[in-house]
Amino acid sequence: MNRPLAKAALILIGMYIVLVYVLPLFTAPLPASLIYLYLALTLSAVLIYYTISGTTLEEFMGPIVRFLSGVDQVGPAKTARLLVLIVFPLLVGWQTYTRLAPSDLPPPENRTIHPAPPGEFVGLSNPFPKTPENIMMGKGLYAAYCSPCHGANYDGKGPAAPGFNPPPANFRDPGTIAQLQESYLFWRIKKGGVGLPVEGMPWKSAMPRWEVELPDEFIWKIIMGEYDGAGQSPRTWEEEE
Amino acid sequence: MGVQHSCNACILVAVFVLSVSIPLAMASDPPDESQQGSVAVRLYLTEGPLPVDDPMSAVWDTVPASTFDMAPQVHWQDRIQEVTVKSVTVRGLHNQQELAILLEYQDPTQDPADAAALEFMVGDKKAHFAHAQEMLQVEGGPVNIWYWKQSNGKAIDMWAKGFGTLRPQAQQDVKAVGMWQDGTWRVVFSRALTTGDSEDVQIEPGKWTSIAFAIWDGKIVDGAIKEKGSQKAVTSWWYFRAEPPPDNSIYGYVVLGLILAAAFEFALIRKLQKGRHS
Ligand code: HEC
Repeated sequence: MNRPLAKAALILIGMYIVLVYVLPLFTAPLPASLIYLYLALTLSAVLIYYTISGTTLEEFMGPIVRFLSGVDQVGPAKTARLLVLIVFPLLVGWQTYTRLAPSDLPPPENRTIHPAPPGEFVGLSNPFPKTPENIMMGKGLYAAYCSPCHGANYDGKGPAAPGFNPPPANFRDPGTIAQLQESYLFWRIKKGGVGLPVEGMPWKSAMPRWEVELPDEFIWKIIMGEYDGAGQSPRTWEEEE
Repeated sequence: MGVQHSCNACILVAVFVLSVSIPLAMASDPPDESQQGSVAVRLYLTEGPLPVDDPMSAVWDTVPASTFDMAPQVHWQDRIQEVTVKSVTVRGLHNQQELAILLEYQDPTQDPADAAALEFMVGDKKAHFAHAQEMLQVEGGPVNIWYWKQSNGKAIDMWAKGFGTLRPQAQQDVKAVGMWQDGTWRVVFSRALTTGDSEDVQIEPGKWTSIAFAIWDGKIVDGAIKEKGSQKAVTSWWYFRAEPPPDNSIYGYVVLGLILAAAFEFALIRKLQKGRHS
């Protein structure tokens, strides 16, 4: 008699374990709202399956109906029913509270790390040849001006890096300069954090506006030294297309 | 028991089971990532007078602290490559009228030119943390800086909008008291939450804004002050707010939720029992 109900419970519990414990082994953990959605879908499927014909419906619903109505109940079943009846309103109350309680976390960041550059910087190419001398000069300038924040090892861990949010970019990370063209770096270095559009949150960036201090020639050579030192190469125009 | 009866009931039961499963699934929210390292300064709500004159007050030990790393200022000229203060610990209180913020940091020597400052954005426009320097694609606002220096023995309420524009305000609203003991400075800044001055940050409990810090070690090294002017320890913006008073209206909704759930149970059980007896 109890078999369909037990099976349904097993399916639901199995689904919960897969969603909450097994899936995160392979990918990022699912948000709670998605877990809820998938469980609700599973539950609906189970309900539809068991209520499609009269007999299975009776087999499936019978025990639930008898349990909840409480007729002729004794002992543990009686206590369990009472517990369910008390716990359900409490859960609803608790849910209402957690939904309505004002969040006391700071607003989410949502900062765009690589916003589109202004038109005049698109498609520029480095006017200096990649000679060992130019690369060496670029590395020297990098050591003087950039390494305090971006690190002597190009890893974003310079002595002046702590305390900044966002932190100085780690050029060894494949998510930074390896994804960008030289012209993009030229823009970022020349105009600095204050040159970012609103979605890049310019008011937060510690990246200096180097055009105030460095001539374009230095900036192009620093770009060469930076890619070489970080063991990355710029994304080229062809790859973009 | 007839199939029709339990069929009516089955819908109710389905709703019941579904609603129980919501909180269970919701209870598994992943832990909040913002717990790693401080990202915010909170002014905790208290009643009565604040310890604005006493950086050593025992009250401060009861206030949760945030700690922020500090970096030598290498953003613009004149730079400095090494600074004394590596981090600052911050505590805050307010009583809905007045606020007090305690800075605590290690500095082995006590010197007349030792100084510390808080910085805030003024108004609704964003401002760059480096003295509200000009942004190129975004129209920025000014900053309000509260500057304390040991030799002044008080705070100066200042305003800036861009490099080279820093100046004391006509209306002074900030107070500061510093005390050095065993290699640690403790400095309390205090002010009313709101002032009548449009050059000041106005602090509304519950609303997030930004705060940044600067600290100078005024030690004399080779006849010169080690850190002064733009040569200082800095941070960029971190979040800041005065905690709002608790909002009791949500308890009304919680009670309503309890009543609705209980009424639902009552209706469901009545229905089920009728089904069985007929
Ligand atoms: C005061 C610290 C500081 C210094 C000095 C500094 N930077 Fe930065 N830099 C940052 C920070 C913080 C970011 C991340 C925020 C942003 O993108 O604006 C950044 C970002 C960048 C980016 C963007 C990377 C990306 O993936 O978008 C480039 C390129 C860059 N810096 C190059 C340089 C170069 C070249 C120098 C030296 C000429 C330099 N920086 C000096 C702090 C600094």
